[in-house]
Amino acid sequence: MSISYGAYAGKVLKIDLTSQTVSDYPVGDEDLKLFLGGKILAARILNDFIKGPLDPLGEENVMVVSSGPLNATGCPSSSRFNVSAVSPLTGLLTSSNCGGSFGCTLKRAGIDALVITGKSPYWVYIDIDADGVKFKDAESLRGKGTSETQEAIGGKGSKLVIGPAGEHLVRYACAVSDERAAGRGGIGAVMGSKNLKAVVVTGRKNPAVYDAEKLRKIKAKWTKRLKSHPLTGEQLPRLGTAALIASMQQKRLLATKNFTDGRFSGYASISGEELAEKFLVRNKGCISCPIRCARVVEVDGKPVKGPEVEIMGLMGANILNDDLGQIIKWNYEMDELGMDTISASGTIAFAMELNEKGMWDSGLEFGKTDNISDVLKEIAFRSSERGDKLAQGSRKLSEEFGGEDFCIQVKGMELSAYEPRGAVGQGLGYSVANRGGCHLNAGYEVVVEGLGLTINPYTVHGKAEIAVMFQNLMEAVSAGGNCLFTTYAFFPFFLFKRPNSMLSKTVNKALPYLGGPLHVINKYPHLAHIHLTSMLPHTKALSAATGMKITMGDLMRIGARGFNLERTINARLGISAKDDKLPKRLTDCEQVPGDPRTKVPQAKLKKNFYFARGWDSDGMVKPKTAKYYSIDALDDIGARPVSGAEHVVVK
Amino acid sequence: MVTVEFFGLYRLNYHMKSIEVEASTVKELFQKIYEVNPFYTVKELKHSIVIVNDVNFNDLKKYRTPLKDGDRVLIMSPASGG
Repeated sequence: MSISYGAYAGKVLKIDLTSQTVSDYPVGDEDLKLFLGGKILAARILNDFIKGPLDPLGEENVMVVSSGPLNATGCPSSSRFNVSAVSPLTGLLTSSNCGGSFGCTLKRAGIDALVITGKSPYWVYIDIDADGVKFKDAESLRGKGTSETQEAIGGKGSKLVIGPAGEHLVRYACAVSDERAAGRGGIGAVMGSKNLKAVVVTGRKNPAVYDAEKLRKIKAKWTKRLKSHPLTGEQLPRLGTAALIASMQQKRLLATKNFTDGRFSGYASISGEELAEKFLVRNKGCISCPIRCARVVEVDGKPVKGPEVEIMGLMGANILNDDLGQIIKWNYEMDELGMDTISASGTIAFAMELNEKGMWDSGLEFGKTDNISDVLKEIAFRSSERGDKLAQGSRKLSEEFGGEDFCIQVKGMELSAYEPRGAVGQGLGYSVANRGGCHLNAGYEVVVEGLGLTINPYTVHGKAEIAVMFQNLMEAVSAGGNCLFTTYAFFPFFLFKRPNSMLSKTVNKALPYLGGPLHVINKYPHLAHIHLTSMLPHTKALSAATGMKITMGDLMRIGARGFNLERTINARLGISAKDDKLPKRLTDCEQVPGDPRTKVPQAKLKKNFYFARGWDSDGMVKPKTAKYYSIDALDDIGARPVSGAEHVVVK
Repeated sequence: MVTVEFFGLYRLNYHMKSIEVEASTVKELFQKIYEVNPFYTVKELKHSIVIVNDVNFNDLKKYRTPLKDGDRVLIMSPASGG
């Protein structure tokens, strides 16, 4: 097997920590054509290893770090890489996307992906450079925060590290590259369970692309489009994702008091505008990103990464806190400790409600903020009984103390800050997403249900079909190595610049009723044998970079293949329709008392979704669906013959 | 008096967080805002997201939406998603 497509480095390395050996993992052209890269290629590789339920913190769990073909090509917003494994939080496949430099440098080191197996007998970090792979003692790095670890390792390489939370197996610990996190699903704990403190890679040579001149022209037009779009050219650079807080408030989408409400009286104090006016030092972007949505703020006089909308909602409205300064500080602390801000915040809010209801006295109370920093440290180091329990995540807490109906998680993963009773399509997405209660893997339908477009947020019409389409597109765009914000340019300018125009209102009214046509395109993506160059240049960029012929239909098909493969793997891990469910608070209780529209009609939405996906009534991928997407008879890549030079392990 | 709060890029660009004005309709309100801060042109305001007492003015009578003393109006720059 070999890789001949452009833009790929041409090599996937398998690193076994138990034996400290390195070998080629013989991924070939056909795999890349079908699974592209990133999270989808990772799912393809993990398909070889996951045969049934396994201990996510056991030696048998396998971690895949994968780049996308557009990493290190200079395409706009194309530095995103992926880390996948079985999640300690959900017990299911998780894929965690990160904007740090690691993915690009991995490609420059001549490697497309790392398959990390086994468990080191002592704390190590892996150091990969032109000389080979080194396993270095990491004992001196133990206990260090994520930035401190990166500084201590030093050198010019890109790092992927864990903090104390990962070392102590906090089920929602993250891995960090530069200051960006592979946040969701507990990847940090997987690394910790392998005694792997960090992976360092050094490389300087960009991979050759198929048609450099063509790609150069595409990149120029693409960058221009992103810079001129109202969202990616103005809103995100100026206000960041936090711009959404005010809109979320108005649309009843701002999760408040552990999702008992969608509006928070103190929202103005935790808004993106407040962040920009009082705290913003400057904005910042990932490598090759013209959008630059990241915020730089100061904590104790030091410039650090600012908060995103999710933590501003979840550590603000959701715990009845209107002190943005505190949120900024906690965000920094969680990044340093190495834990996912969404799951940590959701778990804390659930503990607050347990305490309020007299079910578990943790000392955590809604509106009380003076003990949060201490609690975060206790979680990361598991240094108290309280911290130890919170480190397990909200689902484990509910198994011990009750409160399942108001434990705001799906499949063990805590929901993001979007209250789904104000956008039922987003509620559907949360309930069926492969990695659990993740707003992005859900399809992020809320963006058309009030945060951008304004289709009817309460109707079931078209919601399943829109969710499927968005999920597929986002899977594929992510697999290519792009930031999902590049898909915003898909929406025509006038919808954002002229929201009160008759045309905008007509589009918003009509979209839910286009479920039929969307269903046909979703089901037969090969019919979309077109490019939408100005709206989604990804297809042309991927074609020019790799030499593959990728149309819109191909892109959607790759995305659908990824989503269905992830579901197939999750089915092996024990998932079925019974697990695709929101907590009862969101499906049985009206957000606005007396307004029956304001709860998620889950049964109807799920039925529509399974039909749209080609799944059976138990949520299983039907054989003919699997066959259509060529995932019905996948071989074991690892069992293929390996050719090529042996790898140097430097002791 | 009607309380008007600004969000989004308008607020950052024109440095106005909130004002109180007297106006009997949204149309009149736009004119009053322009008189207070000429950066806010009526044309631009017409393309903004306008929320009157928690309801989008498109779901009311748009520019003819009546206003009374104590009403709260939110004006957001149009690209409010993300």
